[in-house]
Amino acid sequence: MASKKALRCPTCRTLVLEKNPDYPFCSDRCRRIDLGKWASGDYRISSPILDPEVLEGLAEHARRPQRDNDDD
Amino acid sequence: MSTQNVLPETMPGTQPSASYTSENIKVLEGLEAVRLRPAMYIGSTTEQGLHHLVYEVVDNSVDEALAGYATKIDVVIHVDNSITVIDDGRGIPVDEKTLPNGERMPAVQVVLTKLHAGGKFDASTYKVSGGLHGVGVSCVNALSEEFDVEIWLNGQTYEQTYSKGEPTSKVRQTGVTKKRGTKVHFLPDKTIFTVTEYNYDTLANRLRQLAFLNKGIEITLTDERTSDAKTGDSKTATFKYNGGIAEFIKHLNKGKQVLHDKPFYMEAEKGTLVVEAALQYNDSYSETVFSFANNINTVDGGTHLSGFRTALTRTINAAGQSLGLFKDMKESLSGDDVREGLVAVVSVKIPQPQFEGQTKGKLNSDISGQVQSFVNERLGAFFEQNPQVAKRIINKAIEAARAREAARKARDLTRRKGALDGGGLPGKLADCSEKQPDRCELYLVEGESAGGTAKQGRDRKFQAILPLKGKILNVEKARYDKMLGHEEIRAMITALGAGIGKDDFDAAKLRYGKIILMTDADVDGSHIRTLLLTFFFRHMTELIQRSHVYIAQPPLYKIKKGKFEQYIKDDREFVKVMVKRASDGMVIRYGENAASLEGRALTDFMGKLNDYIGFFDKANKRLRNEAVTAAFANLFAHEGKDPSKRSDFETQDKIKQLRAILIEIGKEAKFKGVSDPILDEEHQTWSVSFTDSNGAERKLDWVLASTPEIRQLFGKHAQIKDQLQPPFMIEYVQKGGKVDADDIVEEQQTEGVAEAAAAPGTAVQNKGAKRAAKLPQDPVEKKSARELFEFVIEQGRKEYDVQRYKGLGEMTAEQLWETTMDPDRRTLLEVKLEDIAGTEEIFTTLMGEDVESRRRFIEENALDVKNLDI
Repeated sequence: MASKKALRCPTCRTLVLEKNPDYPFCSDRCRRIDLGKWASGDYRISSPILDPEVLEGLAEHARRPQRDNDDD
Repeated sequence: MSTQNVLPETMPGTQPSASYTSENIKVLEGLEAVRLRPAMYIGSTTEQGLHHLVYEVVDNSVDEALAGYATKIDVVIHVDNSITVIDDGRGIPVDEKTLPNGERMPAVQVVLTKLHAGGKFDASTYKVSGGLHGVGVSCVNALSEEFDVEIWLNGQTYEQTYSKGEPTSKVRQTGVTKKRGTKVHFLPDKTIFTVTEYNYDTLANRLRQLAFLNKGIEITLTDERTSDAKTGDSKTATFKYNGGIAEFIKHLNKGKQVLHDKPFYMEAEKGTLVVEAALQYNDSYSETVFSFANNINTVDGGTHLSGFRTALTRTINAAGQSLGLFKDMKESLSGDDVREGLVAVVSVKIPQPQFEGQTKGKLNSDISGQVQSFVNERLGAFFEQNPQVAKRIINKAIEAARAREAARKARDLTRRKGALDGGGLPGKLADCSEKQPDRCELYLVEGESAGGTAKQGRDRKFQAILPLKGKILNVEKARYDKMLGHEEIRAMITALGAGIGKDDFDAAKLRYGKIILMTDADVDGSHIRTLLLTFFFRHMTELIQRSHVYIAQPPLYKIKKGKFEQYIKDDREFVKVMVKRASDGMVIRYGENAASLEGRALTDFMGKLNDYIGFFDKANKRLRNEAVTAAFANLFAHEGKDPSKRSDFETQDKIKQLRAILIEIGKEAKFKGVSDPILDEEHQTWSVSFTDSNGAERKLDWVLASTPEIRQLFGKHAQIKDQLQPPFMIEYVQKGGKVDADDIVEEQQTEGVAEAAAAPGTAVQNKGAKRAAKLPQDPVEKKSARELFEFVIEQGRKEYDVQRYKGLGEMTAEQLWETTMDPDRRTLLEVKLEDIAGTEEIFTTLMGEDVESRRRFIEENALDVKNLDI
């Protein structure tokens, strides 16, 4: 992937140059807002459950913890 | 009033006198007191006090304007830094006046020599007086070396001169005039002021402010100390604002990005109180608010400002509520929230204002409630009439509220818990015994079970393990959410020890030399890796710059044949190994001339074919017909760095050929139609469309040919074009076992990770002979490149016992150590800043609200995600 010298600030989307002391943010304010989003678990990558077994299990026992969710 | 004139002689630091009688009390007569303690009257004897003299005089003229008698005030700075102020008001009266002590003198002399004398101290003369700096023009007189007044009154001109407050002439009628008004000229006393040079900009700013605050009044400022090089004219400026403080707001917002073009402006009058307020938001986060009472800048605010602020917060909350903008909000907007980007001016005029504080910078008069109800009413109406403006303002305040909430949560991340935490390290961390940071490694491992395996498999001397829970089941939506919760982020920050945030983060405090992300080699794993990398990139950029962040490379496959075992890190390598194995002794014939492929050429071809199929499938998602996709590539692909060329679409030739093929394909695929060649007028390029059996119209044109997936396909197609001539015939030639054995030895050397096969020589040679016996004797025909590819891979697979690792958890602790954690055998991918800037883009898309673009992005990048390890 080509190296980029400028990015958009993850919070406010303004253009930020690499030499900015707050890079990749435009400002400390935007940095704090982003950190707050991490701290509140706002960043999620969601994907559909494709395993038919899990889906079936979900439908039948919606309230019971699932086998695949063994991290709980 | 008299108390100001009476000062005890004994001041701090002087010798206390033995007796204390009325003899000791000296009554300072009038202006003598001003000259003795000027700072008490005008604030200071420096620059500020010097300029204050001008304001006192101008304030008198402004009073005339406010009372409706004057319209114009001219201020001139002369070359000797003396000042002239002229107005066109009524002129200070000159008739004789009797003082309380029986003395008689002209009114003008009273005004100029008696403290707190003049019309402004009588509410019946001026309903509102601007000049309430407290002292009046007599102070200016007292502190001036020269002070001349000229009055144009009733068609006659009167003059009088002073020095240091003492009259040097009587009030004389000197001539006749048609003018009306007062002219004051004064030269500040150099023995009093430490600064005697006037600053043009300071005066201009204050005079401009006065013009804003008193709409319609015209104030000019001329600086005779300067002269233009060409015209010889002095620098001059005219301040006149019919829009009043609404124009003040525009002036303050000059050069800023405003949220709404027209400022809100209101003026209301009730009894003796006049309230003016104006506001306009800009896109900054700071607040600019000026408040005035009777033209005095109340720098510390006061009742008028607090009334305004309360009303602003209330009105914005009420409007947000009625516009339904607060659906996701837990609390209502606070005063702080509505102040971000606010530019406002509040100005009240009121008789006998009460001030508070040493500098009189705070209004104390009880008008808060009145100001509040005025602003509530008018601003509410303004929002109703301008709902778009209201929405923009409210949304900005909502954004501010979110920012504040986010900042609070960010602070929570590093706030230490109670003393029970011990050293403060997270409970889930299995730390290493080595204390020298550059020798330590921290593995961030996805999932508790893999974390457990890693804990068993690690070298506890220098390897620490922090398991992270990255995947949760979203029961409601039947989806998996990959996320790093508050506790995970917090545990990471604490374990790393380098802090977080602009002020706290310090890379020098990092507790580990290497931070290694170890996630499953599947889609979930790549999502969690993306989250982690994005977090590190955004908030611990320096760790990446200093080469502290790495990605572990757990194997995806283990293949086994007898005692031979090999771990394979990805699909590409898997294909390579399978093809190498399968192609031994294999010859593939293709095309009309039955050209043949074998050995090295065959394995090369299969590698390219693997890429080609990947690209083909992606490209085909655009056209949904393999025959069409293949034909498109066949006709339009070019070798070299430009696999698709615009020139192909600038004439009809190739499009016509493509059209003929589409019609042919359409017969079998039941197309509902194929268009004629169409010229795109705007771009002067040709295209052809077909409507497939489902009724979807698909267009083949330059726009399609220049998309990344089609360009990739074309590029790969051009490379293997000569061989892509089905059907393919697969034959085997008997070559004995020798080549076979060499191949395996070579594999071990190049692939590196292989477990040493016992005695590669003879044993394998025997097996090679056995294998030959199992091979098909007759040629096999495959109709397409895909079928050929699948057949070859299948042949390779048959030879091995293949295990595919779905996750780290499927490996034993020992296997994990051997393949992924042992510094002597593992391969680590260093995370570089350049690579990760691209991750940022992927992350943004994955996070995006737009489901369609996210889906397309994931589809289009599916192959890249797999190969680029993001």
